[in-house]
Amino acid sequence: MSTILASTAEAGSKSLDFSLGQQLTVIALCALTAFISHMALAVFNDGVRPFMLDFIQGRTTRTATTAVAFGLSAGFIFGLGAPMALASGVLNPWLLFLPTDVLGILSPKKWLAPLLGGAWGAVVVFGLGGANDLAHELPVDFLTAMQEMSTPILFLFTLFPVLAITKQFGRLRGGIAGVVELALVVVTMKAWPDIFPGAVAMAVGVLILIGFAVQKDLNQRRLDRAEKAKAAAAGDTEAAGDAADDPMNSLFSASAARIRRYLPLYMALGAGVCLLAQMHVFGGGEATSFLIAKGEYAEAAQVDFYRVFGFIPLIATTALASGAYAIAGFTLVYPIGYLLPSPWLAVLAGALVFAVEVLALSYLGKVLGRLPSVRDSSEHLRNAISESLWLAILFGSLMAANTMGGGLGIMIVGGLYLLNEAMGRVVVRMAAAPAAVLVGGVLLNLLYWLDLFTPVKG
Amino acid sequence: MTKILTGGVGKTEVAEALNGLLDTGRVEVAVSSDMDAAMKLRAGQADYYLGTCHTGAGASLGLLLGLLGSDVCHTFGRSVPSEDEVNSLLDSGKKVFGFGMDQIADTTPVLARAIAARAA
Repeated sequence: MSTILASTAEAGSKSLDFSLGQQLTVIALCALTAFISHMALAVFNDGVRPFMLDFIQGRTTRTATTAVAFGLSAGFIFGLGAPMALASGVLNPWLLFLPTDVLGILSPKKWLAPLLGGAWGAVVVFGLGGANDLAHELPVDFLTAMQEMSTPILFLFTLFPVLAITKQFGRLRGGIAGVVELALVVVTMKAWPDIFPGAVAMAVGVLILIGFAVQKDLNQRRLDRAEKAKAAAAGDTEAAGDAADDPMNSLFSASAARIRRYLPLYMALGAGVCLLAQMHVFGGGEATSFLIAKGEYAEAAQVDFYRVFGFIPLIATTALASGAYAIAGFTLVYPIGYLLPSPWLAVLAGALVFAVEVLALSYLGKVLGRLPSVRDSSEHLRNAISESLWLAILFGSLMAANTMGGGLGIMIVGGLYLLNEAMGRVVVRMAAAPAAVLVGGVLLNLLYWLDLFTPVKG
Repeated sequence: MTKILTGGVGKTEVAEALNGLLDTGRVEVAVSSDMDAAMKLRAGQADYYLGTCHTGAGASLGLLLGLLGSDVCHTFGRSVPSEDEVNSLLDSGKKVFGFGMDQIADTTPVLARAIAARAA
């Protein structure tokens, strides 16, 4: 019995304790993000951003905006950020930046915002550090069991372009993309056993999707132009369409100008977020926390890099429509941070990436306006990412449950997941299964202390 | 003829759900995009817009809020509204609704019933 416990504890010894430098970075970054949110320059929650326009233009009060921000964020803080962080032992943007969005907007005074933000950062690093140490000392170690998560996440995520292609361009093209990806995975496994088998397949899948979308948009534009030419030849007035574009253009260019004015502040923000990613105590995407926890940084970088494609149009449009940017920008600084070898490089790269993003915003808005299918693709991409990760995280959680407690573990974790569904998804669907592993782990430890349960294996 | 446009991440799912619930002779449902929908609503070529995304406000409302103003836009976030709530929102002139995509199955019927009652 004691040997079993000893080996469990050893397997979990890869604990994510925060060093002093990491703690200070998180606290300073949270102070900065709260200040930036107070100034209405950027918010993390994509849903809150549109509401910043009325706030910036003084049509609504700080209190009303705080209520909106809290209402849209609370579920994701307690239902996604907190359970993901406790289940993986790794920080995530929902836990850090959604509260600093709210705290920043809430602060009536400029100096109070960074103070509150920094305090939140301290609560998170000390709280999560303590919870991690405690979890690893338990006889049933769910944090180590959670490492089962990485295989289903990586292999199912590989297929997200296939799902997106099927939804947007139909079964035939989706089927072909699926066969191509499967063949590439098999070939990669055989030919380059050292790299992640899905790497090539994902790249090709995303390229196929973008290719289809651009082709569709170019064809549509050719048709539109032909029609316009015909209408012009017939002597029709064709000014209606152009006039409708005006309010959008003026809104977009005013917002882009506002954001550009604060370029240095955004560069500091980019440097901070990139540094946080470089420290390997933070996962930016829904599933990357589990990959970071296992030390699979190159794989985490791939997952978050492809995720960027799903978010560029969303973030660009909401930023241009509101005048407030995103705390993590286009989230490109996440994968760059994971891969960079030194913190100084991360600071430099983060600042540069944010500078380019902010300066390119206006141009991006114009390009995206002309490519509706590409915008459409990004929505299908985000949908496909959540679908594939939902299954992967559910399956990985059940595998973790099996590792922790066999059939009993599966029953508790699967049961809690189903219960959450039946109760109308109190916890966000993506985080429900990891949260269930967390609760299941605590429950199994209680049963162990009551002498009602013996841990399965080491 | 009342025209409803759907947009955002779950646009096809919402349109399918609406088509299954509504009398398509009286209410027309079309899958759209936020930019397109904002223009159509401005021009009076469509009456309502239902947008979905993870938060219920970002991808679904982002552009419409900027172009049409907060007077006609409302987000339910990830909560499921009651019929009374929807009716009073429609009474106050709201036309653009955003909601979380994990609540599509519950929220769409409430909105569909309230809008259909007005179309009759």
